[in-house]
Amino acid sequence: MEDRFLEFVKFDLQIIALSVFALLYALKVYQLMKLPWPREMGPRRGSEELGVVYSFAWLFFPWSMSSTTQHLGRWVEFALYHLGAGAAILGTFTIPFWPAIMTRPVSLTMAALVIGGFIVGAIKLARRIIAPELRVVSTPDDYFSLAAVEVFFFFTAMALITEARGWMIAYFLITAAFLFYVPFSKISHYVYWFFARVFFGLRYGRRGIIAGKRA
Amino acid sequence: MEEQKTVVEQAKEELEKRFSRTLAVAASNLCVHCGLCVDQCHYFVATRDPNISPVAKAEQVRRVVKGEHDWLRRIFPWWTGAKELTEEDLDKWVEAAFRNCSMCQRCVVNCPLGVDTPLVLATARGVLTAVGKAPEILVQLADAAIAREENLEFFKDFYLEQIKELEAELQKKVGDPEARIPVGVEGARFLYVPLSGAHTIMPAAEIFYHAGESWTLSMFEAANYGIFLNDPVRSKRITERIIREAERLKVQEIIITECGHAYAVSRWEAPKWFKDQPWNFRVRSILEVMDEYIQTGRIQVDKSRNPFSVTYHDSCNLGRNSGLFDEPRRILAACVEDFREMTPNRERNYCCGGGGGLVAIPEWQDIRLEAGKPKADQIRATGAEAVVASCDNCRHQLGEINEHYGLNVRVMGMAELVANAIVPNNGKK
Repeated sequence: MEDRFLEFVKFDLQIIALSVFALLYALKVYQLMKLPWPREMGPRRGSEELGVVYSFAWLFFPWSMSSTTQHLGRWVEFALYHLGAGAAILGTFTIPFWPAIMTRPVSLTMAALVIGGFIVGAIKLARRIIAPELRVVSTPDDYFSLAAVEVFFFFTAMALITEARGWMIAYFLITAAFLFYVPFSKISHYVYWFFARVFFGLRYGRRGIIAGKRA
Repeated sequence: MEEQKTVVEQAKEELEKRFSRTLAVAASNLCVHCGLCVDQCHYFVATRDPNISPVAKAEQVRRVVKGEHDWLRRIFPWWTGAKELTEEDLDKWVEAAFRNCSMCQRCVVNCPLGVDTPLVLATARGVLTAVGKAPEILVQLADAAIAREENLEFFKDFYLEQIKELEAELQKKVGDPEARIPVGVEGARFLYVPLSGAHTIMPAAEIFYHAGESWTLSMFEAANYGIFLNDPVRSKRITERIIREAERLKVQEIIITECGHAYAVSRWEAPKWFKDQPWNFRVRSILEVMDEYIQTGRIQVDKSRNPFSVTYHDSCNLGRNSGLFDEPRRILAACVEDFREMTPNRERNYCCGGGGGLVAIPEWQDIRLEAGKPKADQIRATGAEAVVASCDNCRHQLGEINEHYGLNVRVMGMAELVANAIVPNNGKK
């Protein structure tokens, strides 16, 4: 009975949750694509294509923005946090669908990344509570989303370290709950991030501000 | 009889009209409230007020937009801070969008996610203009520019008389009684569009004279206050005067004087408004023309004629909004002996605080000068004796900052500096 429950949360529930998740995102993107897009029309001064490449690349080069140059620690936090998130999400696929690669060293490496993300998450949550400039713009969703990711990180790390059935069940239940919540919350920022970086690259590239400046 | 709409209903309607793909992204869950934009804003750097950081300003508008368009916010508005628009909100938007933001775009280039905060606030400006809550002076200035075209015959003679006086000055300056400031010349290569005031005509006229340029002066001013209102109807109308003049005179290029927003409007925004009536002339800034003259040897300059130390202020509209970074630096390398970069510069440069139409609003002078402190600190750190800005609004603000913070620098335009450095050649005769 317990094995069947584990199988259910590992496979069936994940597939249901992922389908809902994908459907909601598809709907979001569809709604976005229906809207008018006021594109740049002025003769090019630089390259739109290079602008888009630069726009995405900026994220990986902390020296490309004053904000990340001034706050290098925040950029490191960002990197660790998203590496942790990546590892936690990866686990939801590899554990049920590709168990052969989940050797002990792989599990522990992923757990280490997730723990890194968890620590950064705690710092982010504390900062949001303490810093007046963040408090003034924070909503319950901001606090809850951070806390929810912390819970997700915690159960992921425990599942990866112990590989015990109880932690696994909890991990997959939390994952499914997460998949249902994410499209509604600020955690869905990465869907819009893709569009925002494209828009930014097209505009600032075409105008010769960030890439391919005209000689 | 149809009931008259309330201000809030009109505002919501206007907001809906402006809801585009770019705005939908900027006003979505994209912003995670990380706060990295906070100290990239000169207002925050100067005041340390968390309520006027970019994210805090945009959030006021974003919460209303999301209230209309976000799923979760429609069901549980309190969870995400979403709210129904009220007239009180609109009054707060005036502060956030017109008073506490100069549309400098420094927050966008420093946002790891690419949240277009100025787009959100510019949308608020457009909505406020549509419901009659925009600063009256900006509306009046935009309308005055439109009225000038409508009453051109009334202004024409007086304007031509003034130009004749300037022409006499030019002749005296270059020592050539044949030197001209041409107006309304058909077939000229350039239509030069100045601002109000001789300071945007005389140095350019001198440079064109020495370059032996074929040019003609516009009957209109380049300034376009419609863009500060984010009012596409007024902005288009103001730009249209110049475009029609250029078409009538069959010029090859429109050259915009040293004015950041006027250049950005003509170069980047206007093509969107006239996409069904494309024109066949180029739009350039006088900066690009001066750079070309110097690089091609069409004018000779001598840097020893500007023996003082100079720093350069990148106007947000020319730099971060239009990509004119190298041209002014090449000019300065040729025209001054001691050029000192500000830190940071180029797309990272701080706004002087005078952008977004703020220099025209006397009642907000206090916050404008306060927000100019990072710029004052930048200038002071260079130890330069002069600061050059290629934007008239920036120059106005820098002049006030100079006085307010006791910087003791000379505020100059680039054309003035080039005109100083020119080696006379008797008009390439």
